[in-house]
Amino acid sequence: MDSRRRALLKALGLIGATLPFTACERLISSVSQQLGQSIPGRLNLADSSEIDPSFHLLSRAAYGSWPGDLDHVRSMGSERWIEEQLNPESIDDTACDLRARRFETIWHEPGTCYEYKKPVLREEITRHTLLRALYSKRQLLEVMVGFWTDHLNINLEKGDCIYLKPSDDRLVIRAHALGKFKDLIRASATSPAMLVYLDGKENQKKEPGDVPNENYARELLELHTLGVDGGYTQTDVYEAARSLTGWRLRTGWRKGTVYFDPTLHDDGEKRVLGQLISAGGGELDVDRVVAIACRHPATAHHIATKLARRFVSENPPSSLVQRLASVFTTTDGDIKSLLRTLLTSDEFKSAKGLKFKRPFQYIVSCLRALGADTHAHQPLIEYLHRMGQGPFQYPTPDGYPDRTEPWLGTLLWRWNFAFGAASNRLPTVTVPLNELAQAIGGFRPEGLLPYFIGRKGSEAELNAIGDYYRSNHDGAEVMALVLASPAFQRC
Amino acid sequence: MGNTSRRAFVRELLLSTDNALPSAGERTLVCVFLRGAADTLNMVIPYADDGYYSLRPTIGIRPQTELRLDDFYAFHPNLAQLLPAFKEGRLGIVQAVGTDNPTGSHFEAQDQMEHGESYGHMIGGGWLGRYLRTRASNMTPLSAVTIGATIPESLRGAPTASAIESVEEVQIKAPGGNAAAVSSVLSTLYGAEVGMVGQAGKATLDLLRRVELLRSATYTPENDATYFDDSFSHGLKEIARLIKAHVGLEVACLDLGGWDTHFFQGSTSGLQADLIRQLSGGLVAFDKDLGAQRDRVTILVMTEFGRRTYENSSLGTDHGRGFAMFALGGHVNGGKVHGRWPGLVEESSSQTDALNPVGPSGLKVLIDYRSVLAEVLTKFLGVREVSHVFPNFQPEPVGVVM
Repeated sequence: MDSRRRALLKALGLIGATLPFTACERLISSVSQQLGQSIPGRLNLADSSEIDPSFHLLSRAAYGSWPGDLDHVRSMGSERWIEEQLNPESIDDTACDLRARRFETIWHEPGTCYEYKKPVLREEITRHTLLRALYSKRQLLEVMVGFWTDHLNINLEKGDCIYLKPSDDRLVIRAHALGKFKDLIRASATSPAMLVYLDGKENQKKEPGDVPNENYARELLELHTLGVDGGYTQTDVYEAARSLTGWRLRTGWRKGTVYFDPTLHDDGEKRVLGQLISAGGGELDVDRVVAIACRHPATAHHIATKLARRFVSENPPSSLVQRLASVFTTTDGDIKSLLRTLLTSDEFKSAKGLKFKRPFQYIVSCLRALGADTHAHQPLIEYLHRMGQGPFQYPTPDGYPDRTEPWLGTLLWRWNFAFGAASNRLPTVTVPLNELAQAIGGFRPEGLLPYFIGRKGSEAELNAIGDYYRSNHDGAEVMALVLASPAFQRC
Repeated sequence: MGNTSRRAFVRELLLSTDNALPSAGERTLVCVFLRGAADTLNMVIPYADDGYYSLRPTIGIRPQTELRLDDFYAFHPNLAQLLPAFKEGRLGIVQAVGTDNPTGSHFEAQDQMEHGESYGHMIGGGWLGRYLRTRASNMTPLSAVTIGATIPESLRGAPTASAIESVEEVQIKAPGGNAAAVSSVLSTLYGAEVGMVGQAGKATLDLLRRVELLRSATYTPENDATYFDDSFSHGLKEIARLIKAHVGLEVACLDLGGWDTHFFQGSTSGLQADLIRQLSGGLVAFDKDLGAQRDRVTILVMTEFGRRTYENSSLGTDHGRGFAMFALGGHVNGGKVHGRWPGLVEESSSQTDALNPVGPSGLKVLIDYRSVLAEVLTKFLGVREVSHVFPNFQPEPVGVVM
């Protein structure tokens, strides 16, 4: 860190402590610009009628490109960029940290979270998520955080989840997003939020006749690991549930902390997916069940399919799925190896512009492309709610759907978001329109289209938007039309 | 959530076509929430129960004979306008509905009802949100609408939900004000697009054109319906416009607040009487205005809990339990008050049951609110498996929807 930056940060710390929030946010905005969140003076544009490969990579392995990202990836090369992204700790993220680290509750243990009111907890974790997606330079990490958040979905509004999700986000999702799959699942299995969300804390055997609560065990096999067609039986669910009995959450002091109560555990012999779990395993049974489920071939296939669906296409080519499944098997579910294979595959490279962005990705990619300055206050979050994708708000354990159809009703709100953003009328969001236009070379569609959609405009696009530009001369509207166009709905 | 039901739910989402369901927006459910816990005992008055008058010496109402619904209940005078709908069988009432919420907290009881939960068993999402997820195809920005500033809890988890004050908001907000030119560009762009996204763009633009027609025409309610000039009636008028314009409206939510009458509630006139006038004025105008379209619409009127059976020393009523729910529409089995009269004995803690845990007393709850909602879902909206919406709940027949 150079001395100028150090001085800036120090000043920020001192002043931040004494300023009201809005002033503090203004200061953070200005400091983060000096830390590289500003618009470069000149941006090179994609120059082919095909989507630029680096742009494509940024559309899928990141939440779209921030001004200058395309030049950055092009100059360093895709493979080096992927490697860098796979090692997020190597990327300095100070500017994003300034915006996103200051929410207290995301750092707290469950017990402390209980001291906050629900709206505060909801606001902080939601803003944190949105700000990280928007500003983090560790974009692939953020994309994977989103992926696993869906995969291991927890709705803040169920039971006490709102108090427990901050630590789940930190210690389960973020800690393992680029780690080993089985570590992620193991951490999730006894995460307080998951124990509440899927009733694991109710799963106990007190009396000889007690039957287990199968909710978590079923979703573990059906959604988290093997997949619904993964070949497990109802007996496997039952036996897995037996193995998972006895995990409880404290009440009172250190409320929400997990502990294992051996008197509530079914310590008999179990057989899960053909594997024996000997009697007397106690609290180690959970490790056994997770290991058995994660090592099952159906799990490799299921996770490979989901990753390929997210990164490549709704119906991914089976060649790729098979290859990913075998990487999963040979690397013991190493997420980095999976992503490396995926993002460098021919199937990935050729699947350009096919995916329909979900609302979260649409909004974030808009704001990133515009180089917007925001602290993600409620008016911005409302757009996500209106489009049905508020973070941590999906009701059922299967997570927000990764298909096009459920999201097709959101176009009007996307268009209005585009018009609001490009004309700088989104409440609590500032877009540096003129700097951006200057860097692109004006508001002409011939420049705007390649900048926002990563390829030269088609004749139809250039004609439609060009006619509008020639008769209305409203640059902001032309920019909005590009963001509202079908090409920008896809990635 | 129940495991087998969720699995079936996911499977249904994947298959996503179900011919038995009415097609999108052919039928509309309108949910009116009376925020603040309405004293329905002074709306549907048990005039034949002497206990009512001894418990409410000041605010009790002795209705005129012509306001009688049957030989037990009568309407508050300000509900008189709704009598024809009741007598013609379009307005039904369900007595002694409620939740098992023991807290007496408006906020908690409203949330619980809107989520469609049992007390303490939060299941995630709102009941209407979960319903709409089972229908997650052909959604438009107007599939689920709330007239108001924010999306209510009941619509949490819906694939899309729009909070609008009026139809005016359903348009492209081009900053230069040139929406027509902008739409035409979008029309060209989406027209050139093959596949689902192109289709959706064209459908959305088509929807906007229809809404635009609505907006440009002065809306004249039919059948001499006259809406009051208050926000509740305005909201219902907007909903009627959307229903008639066939824009795919499946669920509409609307609030009428101010029912927390602890203090000088009034009787035939006063604080609550004014609210009742607003409510009935809106409903009557809406019902008239819909005219021939009534078969496509069911309106449910609910509140978070009822109030105490007795008046307090400041001539109001405190938080209670059971309440009467109203259902209005062509598919309502109306003209009668469904559900047993539980009597006015304030239950003691020894008489608690699952629906009436220790907590504020009041009219005993005999019908779980979800039984009414479930009946609307199954009989009016054609939902086959109501456990997708209310997991782990076994609804009982109420008989208020045909």
